[in-house]
Amino acid sequence: MLPAIALSVLLTVTPAFALWPLPREYSTGNTPLRLSSSFSIKLSGISQAPSDLKAAVSRTSTYLRKDKLQALLPDRGASSASAIRGAKSLSSLTLSLTTKGPVKSISEEAVADIESRVEGYTLTIPADGSGASLKANSTLGLFRGLTTFSQLWYDWDGTTYTLQAPFNIVDSPAYPYRGLMLDTARNYFPVADIKRTLDAMSWVKLNTFHWHVVDSQSFPLVVPGYTELAEHGAYSADMVYSQNDVKDIVAYAAARGIDVMPEIDTPGHTAIIARSHPEHIACFEASPWTSFANEPPTGQLRLASSATTNFTTDLLKSVASLFKSKLFSTGGDELNANCYTQDKETQADLAAQHKTLEQALDTFTQATHAGLREVGKRAVVWEEMVLDHSVTLANNTIALVWISSDHVSAVAEKGYKLVHAASDYFYLDCGGGGWVGQNVLGNSWCDPFKTWQKAYSFNPIANLTEEQSKLVLGGQHLLWTEQSSPSNLDPIVWPRAASAAEVFWSGPGGNVGMALPRLHDVSFRFNQRGVKTIALQPLYCALRPGKCDLQA
Amino acid sequence: MLQLATILLVGAALFPNEVLGLWPIPRNLQLGTTFVKLAPTFDITVSFNAPQDLLDAVTRTKEYLQTDKLERLIVGRGTNDSAAVGQAPSLHGLTISLLTSTAPRAIAEEAVLPIVTRSEGYSLTIPGDGSTATLTANSTLGLFRGLTTFGQLWYDLTGVTYTYQAPVKIVNDIPAFPYRGFMLDTARNFFSVDDIKRTLDAMSWVKVSLRVIFSCSGSEDIAQINTFHWHVVDSQSFPLDIPGFPELAGKGAYSSSETYSTADVKDIVTYAGARGIDVLMEIDTPGHTAVIAASHPEHIACSQSSPWTDFANEPPAGQLRLASAATTNFTSQLISSIAGTLPSSLFSTGGDELNTNCYAKDAQTQADLASSGRTLEQALSVFVQATHKSLTDLGKTPVVWEEMVLEHTVALPQNTVVMVWISSKNAASVAAKNYRIVHAPSDYFYLDCGAGEWLGKDPTGNSWCDPFKTWQKSYTFDPLASLTTAQKPLVLGGQQLLWTEQSSPENLDSIVWPRAASSAEVFWTGATLPDGTARNVASALPRLHDVRYRMVRRGVRAIALQPHFCALRPGVCDLTS
Repeated sequence: MLPAIALSVLLTVTPAFALWPLPREYSTGNTPLRLSSSFSIKLSGISQAPSDLKAAVSRTSTYLRKDKLQALLPDRGASSASAIRGAKSLSSLTLSLTTKGPVKSISEEAVADIESRVEGYTLTIPADGSGASLKANSTLGLFRGLTTFSQLWYDWDGTTYTLQAPFNIVDSPAYPYRGLMLDTARNYFPVADIKRTLDAMSWVKLNTFHWHVVDSQSFPLVVPGYTELAEHGAYSADMVYSQNDVKDIVAYAAARGIDVMPEIDTPGHTAIIARSHPEHIACFEASPWTSFANEPPTGQLRLASSATTNFTTDLLKSVASLFKSKLFSTGGDELNANCYTQDKETQADLAAQHKTLEQALDTFTQATHAGLREVGKRAVVWEEMVLDHSVTLANNTIALVWISSDHVSAVAEKGYKLVHAASDYFYLDCGGGGWVGQNVLGNSWCDPFKTWQKAYSFNPIANLTEEQSKLVLGGQHLLWTEQSSPSNLDPIVWPRAASAAEVFWSGPGGNVGMALPRLHDVSFRFNQRGVKTIALQPLYCALRPGKCDLQA
Repeated sequence: MLQLATILLVGAALFPNEVLGLWPIPRNLQLGTTFVKLAPTFDITVSFNAPQDLLDAVTRTKEYLQTDKLERLIVGRGTNDSAAVGQAPSLHGLTISLLTSTAPRAIAEEAVLPIVTRSEGYSLTIPGDGSTATLTANSTLGLFRGLTTFGQLWYDLTGVTYTYQAPVKIVNDIPAFPYRGFMLDTARNFFSVDDIKRTLDAMSWVKVSLRVIFSCSGSEDIAQINTFHWHVVDSQSFPLDIPGFPELAGKGAYSSSETYSTADVKDIVTYAGARGIDVLMEIDTPGHTAVIAASHPEHIACSQSSPWTDFANEPPAGQLRLASAATTNFTSQLISSIAGTLPSSLFSTGGDELNTNCYAKDAQTQADLASSGRTLEQALSVFVQATHKSLTDLGKTPVVWEEMVLEHTVALPQNTVVMVWISSKNAASVAAKNYRIVHAPSDYFYLDCGAGEWLGKDPTGNSWCDPFKTWQKSYTFDPLASLTTAQKPLVLGGQQLLWTEQSSPENLDSIVWPRAASSAEVFWTGATLPDGTARNVASALPRLHDVRYRMVRRGVRAIALQPHFCALRPGVCDLTS
């Protein structure tokens, strides 16, 4: 029995079970197991395996070989050296599909209707060295399982090991929408930055990249038939997303189980369109900007103009053609009424049509949404379209709640599906101080900084009835980039954005005390894979779970 | 003078959106509106037998001129300059010379040795007709500062390097304050030598440096030093390999690869010196020393005590047993051993956040106090005097955090340098005690503030010094606020500081730059711009954007202060625009 005692002692210093997001059902043991030097991942019975599944297998093998993450303990695993040496070897992981019929690629599964995606999987790793198995109903599920498998292992002196075999994991997400939003208009991000971000997203099973691609400051998207928008609206000819770039990003994302949901924010946040189409923009560069917009420069689409409505509808349809997602966001936040009050053309249009501004907004939105429906897209809007305006929206419209988590129940009361994107929990830019010039004492409008702990404590069904809770599709962290650029993309996003990834995969109710050691693990593994995550604490604390808790 | 001043005014009126990229802005500056481009054969000629580090600085400057390729931060990025650049006269050379006949010293020597009459001042002239530019100074350090200025004047347009502001005339640009620093904590998280070197480079681009005025034996000795305040060890880790005390890093570093060897320290000090920067090292005592218990438990009180909140400001708890003669000797020898390897004339013994409860609960300290008949305050005074003697024996001047002066009754000589960190309001109290001051207030200069709580199990916790200190906030700091005329000379300068509980190599550049440039201008340029008007955030912002974009070009991942849209349109994103 002595060895057993030794093992249990070992367990008390074993690093926290490092899976992120935490599987919904799992059991682990305390047997050391290492990867055989000839370890391989095999596909079983998957005829004509899609190339993106093969590529995912290959990437997983690479991570297993190259992560070389040492356990986050004061001795980094040294005291387990003999247990590791004496461990059984795992020589294979076998993947199989539990459904018959034609095999769809990960990429196809990733862009299927949000409510119908199959991401679950079952992973079994015996303690005795016999083959591990990963089963799922879809290639997307297999991909999620591969991601889990690759988080289990540590490195000691060139050996890849775990101390916690056997593993039995039955997993599937609590919510179908688990996203990250990036604004590429305030500052531009090269394709390589976006791809690195997509990789990182996939490592924590995020499945939606909400791409706020254009805004009032710049229009980097090259749209077929509307190339003048980027030509005159991008920061420079280099700072654009060409059609090939978009195709590349969409394909890269899909192969990693990520749907790319584009947003063309309308009718506000469109000032830059005036560079090529001044006829469509009201109050362009009006001063003082504070009277016409929430940030400079000012300018909004002339929503009461039928020409502008047609232009916008056709533009959105053209943009939609670049993306495979069923979802498309038309934005709709922060509409500034004064801009239209001061715009003679809008006032004339309203008078001629005998419409109020609200009625004109309804007409405008119905037109753009009908255009998207024609091309098979489902509209997504910011909360104001539901709460602040009297706009007729299709029942399947999805609302993003951003102003406050307190607004969730109001959206639910209106019966719309919703995605949590609350500034008071999930805005990654908060706390960076004021960025507007000549404002010495200016602070971040949404101060303070939203820590991972704050986000992690979010309850997706707070204040909702059981029936309303079904309207919650999920949620996301968001990075608005007034004060961000490629220079700080990784550290401002990671590992914080992993917080929502677990809330919406594992479901609410996790506690920050248990989560922190695992989140450190996420962060250090990301670092090994080339994503420059920020330090959550001194390394001293990362190596000593609980020691740096407030009450320790 | 009048003519040039007129040209400047006319230029400003004609081109309201034009900015210049000089940072810190020289205290004396005349610019024109003539375009001058660098000839393909442009060279920098040194007219004397120069030390190697100056020749290296010349080489680096030429490399920056070739590789910066920074386009002007205006709409069009300078394409409207095309015709003017095409017709512009070509500058073929910059000649640099010393105004003194004494043998030139290395920049690194000037940066660390007390030298009477040496200064950082320089004069730079770039004629508008393409004739040779000249840079003169009284020291190689001054020449280095001038080269830095020269390197900030140029923009790229389709491969041509040009300025649109010739003629340029800067006469005797000297810093308003002698100490312009930056502090980095390498104990909460480790930073590689490469990270530190990159930071030193960036510091040198904005002339972060320090000069201290010593009063010794009644004669005024002017030492010119430049400063990287290296908070090298703390309670969480001891990465510093100290001669004679290898066990401290052996047991206290995060890992054997996360250490600064003696060779690393020498490398860093040399690299800094060649860039006009002195390395002011801090071994914080008697608090912030818990990790010493890993190798010397006998010297540490309340090691790892719980709850840590009763024993320290952050985990882990543990402080040097200041009442123990053995611990006092150990600490003095430790400080002496590392200080003796450093060329700086300054060394910080820290002294912040002493926790009295830790000693009240430590049986050994209580026994030591009882047997010596001392109070804790008296024992602290004995301890500090001993550690400081080890420094003064080496010819070093001790530096301490403000508590040593304001909260404790420690006998400190008047030449001690005091860093004010808790609040900018405390500077006046330090001045009232007639100590020299380095401004390091958390309410203006702490770069870590505003990132939320880092302690575990505290979901609603916030940064203790919230909110984030913006560059604008730092920029409005008044170093002489609330001081009498007689007290003002006590202000040596100031610095921004990065405590690294939530920072690591991954975000070092973006959390430090360009914000840390803010204090660099506060303490170089002083209260007024070269035209005599008050320094202000409105005219600073376009130049600070320039600093940021140039840093990115040079491989420092400085953060975006605003949308690129705003960076190209000075003033358009101001609050009242």
